[in-house]
Amino acid sequence: MKRYAYYLSCINESMTKEVDRSIDLWQKDLDIEMVKLHESTCCGGSNLDYVSPKHFALVNARNIALAEKLGLDLIVSCNTCLMTIRTAKKKLDESPELRREVNDILKKDGLVYKGTSNVRHLLWVLADDVGFEAIREKVRVPLKNYRIAPFYGCHILRPSAVLGKDDPLEPSSLDMLIEALGGTALPYEHKNRCCGFHTLLVAEEESLNVAAEALKEAIDIKADFIVTPCPLCHTVLDGYQAKALRQAGIHTSIPVFHLSEMVGLALGYSEKQLGIKRHIVS
Amino acid sequence: MTGAKEAHTEPKRDITLRVHRFNPQVDGKPYFDDYTIQVEKGITVLRALNYIKEHVDASVSFRAFCQAGICGSCGMRINGISKLACTTQVWDELDRCKEPGVIRIEPLRNMPLIKDLIVDMDPLVDKMKHYSNWVVSSMPESRMGKKEFLVSEEEFQKYDKATDCILCASCVSECTILRAHKEYVSPAILLKSYRMNVDSRDSIHDARLGELVKDHGVWDCTHCYRCQETCVKHIPIMDAIHGIREDALEVRGVKDSSGAKHAEAFMSDIEKKGKLVEATLPIRTNGMAWTLQNLLPMAMKMIMKRRTPPPPPLVKPAKGIKKFREMFREMTEHVRAEKKSHKK
Repeated sequence: MKRYAYYLSCINESMTKEVDRSIDLWQKDLDIEMVKLHESTCCGGSNLDYVSPKHFALVNARNIALAEKLGLDLIVSCNTCLMTIRTAKKKLDESPELRREVNDILKKDGLVYKGTSNVRHLLWVLADDVGFEAIREKVRVPLKNYRIAPFYGCHILRPSAVLGKDDPLEPSSLDMLIEALGGTALPYEHKNRCCGFHTLLVAEEESLNVAAEALKEAIDIKADFIVTPCPLCHTVLDGYQAKALRQAGIHTSIPVFHLSEMVGLALGYSEKQLGIKRHIVS
Repeated sequence: MTGAKEAHTEPKRDITLRVHRFNPQVDGKPYFDDYTIQVEKGITVLRALNYIKEHVDASVSFRAFCQAGICGSCGMRINGISKLACTTQVWDELDRCKEPGVIRIEPLRNMPLIKDLIVDMDPLVDKMKHYSNWVVSSMPESRMGKKEFLVSEEEFQKYDKATDCILCASCVSECTILRAHKEYVSPAILLKSYRMNVDSRDSIHDARLGELVKDHGVWDCTHCYRCQETCVKHIPIMDAIHGIREDALEVRGVKDSSGAKHAEAFMSDIEKKGKLVEATLPIRTNGMAWTLQNLLPMAMKMIMKRRTPPPPPLVKPAKGIKKFREMFREMTEHVRAEKKSHKK
C-alpha cells in the first residue's frame, strides 16, 4: 500500500464533498492510502500570490512542510490548488532567502520546509504510480458504453513550467485513464481550454460564455458526459450549466463527473455511494 | 556516427499546407486551399508560404517582414496554435498534424479578419492608446536633453522581460476572456501597461491604473495562462497581470472593483480560519443585491442537493489554527517592516 499526504481543498470541504467521499471509497482498491492533512490551510486559490506574495509563500511552505514531516508526497485533487502550491514550491526552491525567512517563522510550530516532498495531482498518481495496467485489472464495471469528453482544465496543464506532466497542447493522461476504465475518450477540442471559474464573480457574462462553449462542444460531439479532474471546473460546468446554456440559447444539458467519481463507477460503486446525486445536472 | 552523413543528405518530402482563404469582396464565407509542395528539412512555415506565393498561387495573402522573429508581423495559427510563421519549422509541425502531412494555417483569432491570414490590428492599437501604452515623461520639457534619466538595475529588472514583446498578438489570439468579450483589455495591453507603470520615468501611473481597474480591465483576467504559454518570447505575462493587481490593491485598496474585493477576501479568510468561507464570497465580492439577483435561483437548487457551502460560523477552522494565525501575523509584521524600509 503506497501512502500519500492528502491536501484538503476548500471547495471539496464545502461544495464538492463528493470528490473526497469517492476517493475514500476506492483508495484501498487501488492499493493507495491518502492521509488527510487536517492542519492544511487554503492555498490562496491563485489570488493570494499577488495580494501578498510573502504570505502566499508562508502558507504553502507550511502546507508542503506538513507532508514532508510525514515523509510523503502531497497529493491534490483541485487543479488550482495544485498549480498554486506548485508555484509556491518553485519560488521556495529557487530562493534560499525566501526559504530562510519562511522557515524562521515555521520553526515556531516545529515545521521546516526542505523541498523534499513532491506536489502532485491525484490524476498523476493514478497515471504514474498505480499505472493504467493495474487500473484496468481492477475494473469491475467497464465504462464500455460511454462516450466521454475529457475536460482537463487549465491549472493541471498551464503554466507548463510549473506543472509539466501533460503536454498542454495535447494532454493525454485523462484520455488514457478513461480508456483504462473501458470508456471511449472522445477527441474534444476544449479539453485543454478554460472553464471560466476564476471570473465567475467578477465578470459573469464572460465566464458563462467560456463555459457554454465547452459544454456546447461536448453536446455536439454527443458525449454521454464530461469528466474533469478539477472541482472548480465541475462547479462551473455542472452548477452554472443551466445559466450558461440559457445565455447561449441552448436548450439541453449534459452531466459532468469528477475524475474520482468516474474511477468509482468503474470500480463498482453506485452513483449514490459516490455522491453523484448531489450534482445539479442529473 | 551518422550525424555528418545526414547533414549532407537533408531529407526532403511532400507536405501540404491547408491555408485559410477569405476575400470579403468575392467570398461568401471562408474556405481552405491545399497546397502540396516539396520541402527540405530546416524550412520554416513562412518560407513554405513564400514559396507558395511566388510559385503556386500569388493570391495567398499574409503579413511578413523580418523573417527572423523580430518584427512580429507573421503571427498566425499553425496547427491551431498562435505563433510566428518565421520561427516555426515545418518539420516540427509535422509531428503535430491531425491529418498526417497536412499543416493547417489559419489567421489569428479575436481580431477582425481582413483577408486570408491577415487580421486587423487596429482594435489592438486603439486599446494601446486607451491605456496609454507609452511613457509620458515626468521631466519638464525645458529640462529635456540637459539631464539624464537614471534607471537602476533593480528597476530595469522589473520590466526587462516585458520589453521583449514584439506585439505579434499571439497572446491576444489565444486569450480566453477576449474570446468571450471583445472589449476586454487583452494580455498584450496588460503587459505593456505594467511595463509603463513600473517605469520611474513615467508620470501617469495613477491615471493608467485608474483605467486598468475599470470594467473589462485587469480584474477580468481568468488566470488561464494561455497567453503566457503561447508567448513567442516566453514572457511571463501573468506576472505582469498579477503585478498590476498587486499595485492596484496597494494604491487603490479594494474600494473600486469587485475583483479587488474578491482577491482580498482570500487573505482575510485564510488569516481567520485557514479556510475560504465560500458562502459569503459572492456577497463580499458584489454586495447583497447582486448576490440575491444573480445567485438566488442557483442557491435554491444547491440547497435541494445539499450542495450549499456552510455559513461562516459552521466553517471549521483548520487544525492548529491558533499557531497558524500567529505565524500569519508574524509575516504581516515582516511585510510591514519591509515596506517601511523601502520608503526610507
